[in-house]
Amino acid sequence: MNLRILVADDHDIIRRGLKQLLTAHAGWNVCAEAKTGREAVSLAEEHKPDVVVMDVSMPDLNGLEAARRIRKALPKTEIVILTLHFSDQLVHDIVEAGARAYIMKSDADRDLVAAVEAISNRRSFFTPRAAEMLLNGFRKQSTPNAAPTEYRSRLTSREREITQLLAEGKSSKEVAVALNISVKTAETHRANIMRKLELHSVSELVRYAVKNQIIEA
Amino acid sequence: MTVPKVLIVDDHAFIRRGVQGILQAHPEWQLCGEADNGKDAVRMARELNPEAIVMDVSMPGLNGVEATRAIRKTNANVKILLLTLHESSELVRTAFQAGINGYLLKTDAEQELVQALNVVIAQGTYVSPRIDPAVAKELISRGSRPAAVSDAGTN
Repeated sequence: MNLRILVADDHDIIRRGLKQLLTAHAGWNVCAEAKTGREAVSLAEEHKPDVVVMDVSMPDLNGLEAARRIRKALPKTEIVILTLHFSDQLVHDIVEAGARAYIMKSDADRDLVAAVEAISNRRSFFTPRAAEMLLNGFRKQSTPNAAPTEYRSRLTSREREITQLLAEGKSSKEVAVALNISVKTAETHRANIMRKLELHSVSELVRYAVKNQIIEA
Repeated sequence: MTVPKVLIVDDHAFIRRGVQGILQAHPEWQLCGEADNGKDAVRMARELNPEAIVMDVSMPGLNGVEATRAIRKTNANVKILLLTLHESSELVRTAFQAGINGYLLKTDAEQELVQALNVVIAQGTYVSPRIDPAVAKELISRGSRPAAVSDAGTN
């Protein structure tokens, strides 16, 4: 099966390695490479890949937000999310973002090709621990981890994007420039985020972003 | 002149593939083996006798710093280049005390790997430009051999 794949990771050497692992498979081509989530969204819109293989932790716009936007713009494009660390919350966030495959970077040798094969056949692929967790959640018929889920439902996609930029140390003015909005609008978003999350300082926002894996520690 | 052999140690396959890809474009280096954990690294360092080892830090079982200590017990000559995501000055110091010759961040590996290997093989000390310059200077000046380092801030 011929597949066009977009690879997104902020580390050049990781993209090179992922590309080697993927292109070793007959018929698979890497059509574009992105260093940030924002670049991944724009390159996905331009190249319309069959599959996006994407890291979660990327500057500017993280992999989860990028996955949400790609799925919205290109419903036929399937997404494999790669992470360094496992977290229960992340599994929920990944599913909610619309990705159908989640693998650990440490298992990429074993799981990457299997995951891409599965989603190209419209099947899901989750690292065994995540699959077990999802199954347990399904059995219990409950929604795990209320707090971060609350975060998701309370903030809009734009607010989540701005939360990451603020947590990365950008000022309202820098946020305004990055998103092509007015400083006043950026400040309004910032005030809304702080109010919704009940935070009172940028350092609290940074702690919050790290805890919820919006940015890396 | 014989081509120096490199052993790559990282639990992530795509990092090993990435290093392999970079070295393929540089025939003055030869990849002689791969290990995905510290214990195998120690064994392979003994069996393959490489001139240089590119070593990850965080690995299951024996980590890269512990593996370096173990290798140094029997091999004082092999050049060990730590390849890591961590920028902590404390780790830099600990790793150099354990016996590494170079400290390279994964962020810079694509651009700097070959340069870092060239520095350590020429008996120098390589410290990634992103590491606190004061710490880098201290480590390089402490080295008993002629020091070399990439120009800070050029990448």
